[in-house]
Amino acid sequence: MIKMRHISVTLLSVFLTFVVIGNAYYQKQQFYPSVVYITKSNPSMAVIYIQALVLVILLGKLMRKIFFGQLRATEFEHLVERSWYAITETCLAFTVFKDDFSPKFVALFTLVLFLKSFHWLAEDRVDFMERSPNISYLFHFRVLLLLVVLGLLDLHFVAAAYQSTVTKGASVQLVFGFEYAILLTVVFNIAVKYVLHTVDLNREIFWENKAVFLLYMELVMGFIKVVLYVFFVVIMIRFYTLPLFAFRPMYYAMRNFKKALIDVILSRRAIRNMNTLYPDVNPEELTDADNVCIICREEMQTASKRLPCNHIFHTSCLRSWFQRHQTCPTCRLNILRTPAPQQTQPMQPRMNQNRPAEPRAQPMGPQDNAFIPPPFAFPWIPQQPPNVQPNAADAAANQPGAQQEPAAAPTGEQPPPTDFSNFQFFCPPFPFFGMPIPPPPTPPSDLSNISEEELRKMEQASKEGIEARLRCLRNIQLLLDASVAMMQQYVSAANTAELAANASQSGAASTSSSNVRQPGAEGASTSSKESSPLSAEPSPSSQPQAGPSSSSSSLSEQEDIRKRRLQKFDQAAK
Amino acid sequence: MSGSALRRLMAEYKQLTLNPPEGIIAGPINEENFFEWEALITGPDGTCFEGGVFPAKLVFPSDYPLSPPKMQFTCEMFHPNIYTDGKVCISILHAAGDDPMGYESSAERWSPVQSVEKILLSVVSMLAEPNDESGANVDAAKMWRENREEFNKIAQRIVRKTLGIPT
Ligand SMILES: [Zn+2]
Ligand SMILES: [Zn+2]
Repeated sequence: MIKMRHISVTLLSVFLTFVVIGNAYYQKQQFYPSVVYITKSNPSMAVIYIQALVLVILLGKLMRKIFFGQLRATEFEHLVERSWYAITETCLAFTVFKDDFSPKFVALFTLVLFLKSFHWLAEDRVDFMERSPNISYLFHFRVLLLLVVLGLLDLHFVAAAYQSTVTKGASVQLVFGFEYAILLTVVFNIAVKYVLHTVDLNREIFWENKAVFLLYMELVMGFIKVVLYVFFVVIMIRFYTLPLFAFRPMYYAMRNFKKALIDVILSRRAIRNMNTLYPDVNPEELTDADNVCIICREEMQTASKRLPCNHIFHTSCLRSWFQRHQTCPTCRLNILRTPAPQQTQPMQPRMNQNRPAEPRAQPMGPQDNAFIPPPFAFPWIPQQPPNVQPNAADAAANQPGAQQEPAAAPTGEQPPPTDFSNFQFFCPPFPFFGMPIPPPPTPPSDLSNISEEELRKMEQASKEGIEARLRCLRNIQLLLDASVAMMQQYVSAANTAELAANASQSGAASTSSSNVRQPGAEGASTSSKESSPLSAEPSPSSQPQAGPSSSSSSLSEQEDIRKRRLQKFDQAAK
Repeated sequence: MSGSALRRLMAEYKQLTLNPPEGIIAGPINEENFFEWEALITGPDGTCFEGGVFPAKLVFPSDYPLSPPKMQFTCEMFHPNIYTDGKVCISILHAAGDDPMGYESSAERWSPVQSVEKILLSVVSMLAEPNDESGANVDAAKMWRENREEFNKIAQRIVRKTLGIPT
């Protein structure tokens, strides 16, 4: 039906052209006068324009047949969608250059659009390589030919625009030169992707570095585009006016660049954590039980890592996931805000108690030999004791001093969502069970107790002096963390509507925030331990700790709350 | 070697064929392209969509399962969580990264733990229990809240339409 309409439109335009030309020739009898006649008559020119457009579309179809064959449905949708924006922006560009408006000008813009559409199609086609089980030689030939042709054309037009601008001064050629420069980066981007995909297709084993290359390429390309756009806008403002038509693509270029940058930073951090802090899973554990990696749904035989939440995955799968999100795929524990997994031995039994409560427990090996000390300590703190928990998010900042009791190490835990009243109903099911949240940290020994010797040490410029200063700063951060944690507990306690219990706790919590600056903060920290069962994160893991000091009634209430929640999760799961 | 996305999709397809969940059929539209699937979803019993067979299309990104697929019904639909063009709007189809703060909203969002089967099951339960907070189709949400009878009538008409029964 649509095809029929296309054919009839084409035939109609050809017929009209013949009529127009025939009429002109009939009236003027000679070639040159008839050309003049046609260009002077508006209706004739309209017909000629339509004819040219039809020819361009026909040419486009021919080229498409040569380079792409049949378009897939998604490719066609993309094409239509992007053309729509491109045409709108072109019309906006016309308004800036309305003085130079001429048939040549229209033709040049049409050419840009025409070539652009082939860039988009090439992009989609190369992305498709990742999705297709078999790629034919014809495919490779077509893509390579297309990339070479597009690259050469872009180069030619950039050079032409540059020449014209240098010799004749700023003109609409600026816009063309810029458009083709952007297209050139696109061609380059596609070519790199094509090479990466081709290498990947010809490899026998999974190529984990490909995603890394893609990520960095995204960053570099994003940067080049942003630079180009800023440069273009500055030049346009200098010579003409604000180029509104470039704003939408510029905004997207900037957004993509920002996203690529954040992705690179966060994923680097997560991957560094993975490589240095998280233990490898030893082969006996892997052969044990069900050992399917949840990311790729394939068996884990080698190279697997255990996250702090005890979930295990292929190292390579985890790496590609961390390039997008820095969370555990199973329980969504944010690994950048969680201490590394080296639980000290006394904490192991607690982990085991938690596990049955976890609805989607990952297959895990025996816990007894799971504890592997981290191979890595931050190099610039050589005397770091093995049992502190380095915080992933801000490296050393949260590490407690060596004199700290290990169980009270700070967690750098994420402040819970501010809306505590909703918390009971929207509590996160998984992080909740998987993540042991230690009690708020005990403030370190008071700063006013620093001995003369320690002070002298801090003033030294040597390595020791720097270390001493850093330790002092860490202690201060620890104090801040402690007071934040206590404030949170205070707020949540106030919201749980257990007024009687709250009266004493709020007293403790509010004094504790002032206490942190004074010696003898020990009392405050114990009372905050007591209040932890009622805190914003009533993680089951915090219960056993609170056991000895909290009253039996609060324990049973705690149980009730927990049961109710478990029921909710069950309902949600159904 | 073909990408991990492809191998995982093939694994999921195999799993769905060997062990199909009740009332759901899904698979690639053609075996040359594993990244576009079609699915047939039977309206859950005891709801206004009971008895209907709803065709839908799933399009997977090349980095699946790291990013979620997109799902769109290819028949007429009238439902609070389905756009008028058929696109499905439920949390399992949204990537988790949108709000870096707090896990609570991301708990049900996409992660590699999810699968085609889980998506389709979520869609079935969405058909049974619309979430009228989500504004994918405001008219449908309003009618679901305020005029359930009328909503049921429209749903029944759509059901008959998918079965090819004249209304
Ligand atoms: Zn894996
Ligand atoms: Zn986990």
